Amino acid sequence: MTSPVQERRSIFTRLYHGETQIRFVRSFKKWAVVSGIVIVIGLLSLWQRGLNLGIDFEGGVVWEVPAGDVSVTDAQDAMEAEGLEGLSVQTLTADGETRLRVKAEPLDTVAEAQGITDKLAELTGSEANDVSLNSVGPSWGEEISRKALRALVFFLIAITIYITFRFELRMAIPTLVALIHDVLVTVGVYSLAGFEVTPATVIAILTILGFSIYDGIVVFDKVDENTKLVGTGNSMSYSDMVDLSLNQVLMRSLNTSITALLPVASLLILGSFILGATTLQEFALALLIGLFAGAYSSIFIASPLLALLKEREPRYRELKARLAGRQSAVRTPAAVATTAVGDDDAVTTSAGPAPALSGRAIPPRPRKKGRKR
Amino acid sequence: MRRKKLTPLIFIVLAAAGSLTAVLVSDTSPQLGLDLQGGVSVVLQPTEAASDEALSQAREIIRSRVDALGVAEPEIVRQGDSIVVQLPGVKNQQRAIELVGDTAELRFRPVLLMIPGSLDDLSSTTTTATGETTTTVAGATTTTATGATTTSAPVSGQSAVGGATPYQDPSSTTTTAVGATTTTTAAAGEPAPAIELTPREDDVPEATVLLEEVDADGQAVNTYQLGPAGATGRIVKTARAELDQSGQWGVALEIKGGDGIDTFNALAAECFSKAQTCPTGQLAIVLDSEVQSAPNIQQPSFEADQIQISGSFTESEAKDLALVLRYGSLPVTLEAQTVQTVSPTLGEDSLRAGLAAGLLGLALVCLYMILYYRALGVVVVLGLCVWSSLLYAIISKLGVALSLAGVTGIVVSVGVTVDSYVVYFERLKDELRAGRTLRSSTERAFTRAFRTILAADISSFIGAALLFTLTVGPVRGFAFFLGISTILDVVVAWFFTRPMVGLLASSRVFTNAPRLGVARGLDASRTPVASPAGAGR
Repeated sequence: MTSPVQERRSIFTRLYHGETQIRFVRSFKKWAVVSGIVIVIGLLSLWQRGLNLGIDFEGGVVWEVPAGDVSVTDAQDAMEAEGLEGLSVQTLTADGETRLRVKAEPLDTVAEAQGITDKLAELTGSEANDVSLNSVGPSWGEEISRKALRALVFFLIAITIYITFRFELRMAIPTLVALIHDVLVTVGVYSLAGFEVTPATVIAILTILGFSIYDGIVVFDKVDENTKLVGTGNSMSYSDMVDLSLNQVLMRSLNTSITALLPVASLLILGSFILGATTLQEFALALLIGLFAGAYSSIFIASPLLALLKEREPRYRELKARLAGRQSAVRTPAAVATTAVGDDDAVTTSAGPAPALSGRAIPPRPRKKGRKR
Repeated sequence: MRRKKLTPLIFIVLAAAGSLTAVLVSDTSPQLGLDLQGGVSVVLQPTEAASDEALSQAREIIRSRVDALGVAEPEIVRQGDSIVVQLPGVKNQQRAIELVGDTAELRFRPVLLMIPGSLDDLSSTTTTATGETTTTVAGATTTTATGATTTSAPVSGQSAVGGATPYQDPSSTTTTAVGATTTTTAAAGEPAPAIELTPREDDVPEATVLLEEVDADGQAVNTYQLGPAGATGRIVKTARAELDQSGQWGVALEIKGGDGIDTFNALAAECFSKAQTCPTGQLAIVLDSEVQSAPNIQQPSFEADQIQISGSFTESEAKDLALVLRYGSLPVTLEAQTVQTVSPTLGEDSLRAGLAAGLLGLALVCLYMILYYRALGVVVVLGLCVWSSLLYAIISKLGVALSLAGVTGIVVSVGVTVDSYVVYFERLKDELRAGRTLRSSTERAFTRAFRTILAADISSFIGAALLFTLTVGPVRGFAFFLGISTILDVVVAWFFTRPMVGLLASSRVFTNAPRLGVARGLDASRTPVASPAGAGR
């Protein structure tokens, strides 16, 4: 998806018609390695740096007030004088207005927090009511974290059960793997970049998972439908069928991702523009990466994994072997006019017909491994 | 058959337009949450394990306190063992926070004076015309015309007060001048003392206070002047409502043995003998600066487990009193776990951002769909209009507060809704590529696509339902609005999209228009529908 424009145009047209012939299943190992590396980096970062938890999960106090004429250093000095621990003072600018954001570790009583509210109001020349306060006790923060994690786990389990029920177990497992992959990638990004984890983050992750599932269902629905094409009559193994299905839904998948992204992106762009909150900007980036990871995992991870799992089933395994044996003995029509870009998993342009839905057509066969270089 | 197919379309368009109009006309709009309106939110948790009943009582106490703040739509709910208090649009945020967390104590106070009705009844102004006689109560102002007679009476008590008059009667003075109208004032030299109920901060055990008893509707029944508290709720062991022999509801009160019953009997003795400290013979049960009941003491001393409170109680009144007494024995100390105040300006900004972004997102998506699918994109736009009118009407009607997280939930579901169109249109493309005409494909494609849409929406809904039950706070709001929008998506897909696309497809104009036609949008004209496919076919 990041190839230069000229190449993209031709690929785009083929995408539009559902005529691409990317061999996803074949290249599964490569993509799995890429994902693996990304996830491992994320996990390492998680282990070393941990996550920058916001006050909703860790406990703490945050005040926000229009800055007036006060500078960050002045505010910092004033707050230090109050004896606040774990202090951090920043400014946010939005819509022409500067706001002060003071963060500190949890205070013992609410009255203390209110005392600081008054001090801040005095300092900046605002009313006490203009000061926004968010105070979370540490035990409450822990409880929220626990609840959030628990909700996430239950969510994953419930979805797995549903997909098993609607399709089959062998489809549910790759979906689960893809979802876990998405969570790990997103969390890794948060850890690496040091973004603050707030309830908004939890919402972002759930949104990402939601779309990943949606994407997955769109693909698996197609696979489900095409299963009847598998067999010696069509010379298609299960993997081939999965490849075919993926190529057919590629555009659909892209489109759903784009339409999902547009409203969310505008919320975040406008939101951060008007509110100036860094939180929204971080949320934006996380969501973008997450949605991309979601689309990627449904296509490059979940489906090939499905093919691999299914071909453990004896009938599909035998079919594949039989087809492979037959293949190396016969020159295929699809061998005519293929241009490889040198890689095993290149997009092949073929003079053959577009993959069609009707059971009569035999789809062009991707190059088999049996062919000697 | 045409008409039958159009029925669902007409139905839903009417429903959408109708509900939207109804909502707009009746001036109902979505209830805004704290982060969009400004206000205070506090989550309270008991410091020690408290019973279910005690927590409910605590919630009631907070509710009556909050009523005094004059918040338009306060929300005080229990979530597990926490009490969540949300006060959107509250004026004095600091005071609200203080008010909410205080522990309420039950006290037994002797009644010094009972005044029927509220204090407002007391301080009324009467104008007397010539020749009339008016009886005024202490503290009132009377304007007396020439020749009229005014009699002022002291505040009437329950019974004749023997000797002690602790209550300062501001006697009113009437001056009648010949031929002139006069205004009466209080006792010469002294301004009329303002008579007010004792504010909560001043309601301490040692003080003499003036408090009200209110009924279920919040109307004042009686006003009492009360002496210092002789005992607190801690002497109470338990209490329960029961029917006595005559079929009347009453409350059986049990006091703890030892110091408890001794203290109680000391109070009882004072009241029974109508001593100076308890001239009316009544002992008031006060919770959170509100008199719950003020029974007459009819025995000089009691057995700890044989105290009956009777009166003309209804069943619910008796049960409420028993609950209050039980609560008083072990009041819940609440600790504020989270406190959140949002200034109104921040709330407004958030609302603006949310609305602007939501609209922009909708616009962008519609634009993209029209560009990509041409005339079919119009179906998306119209469908979204129907969907959003229904959503708006439902949200306004439901009255659930919309927070920023909720707005995010709705925005996400816009994506989900539009995705269902993509699924359907791509499926249409498939059908066309397989060689069918547009007209004949719409039904087939829809049936097939609907299965996918349903599967995806169900998973969305499962997710939303789970989240709603398992989480608290903003994520919950997100889940709620996502769930509702998802259901609406299915409804709109079935009732609107299917007939609408069918309608467009059967119109030649729409289908074959050169640049904007449906066929062009689905790329039907370009796809080699019937051409030879080359090798392999």
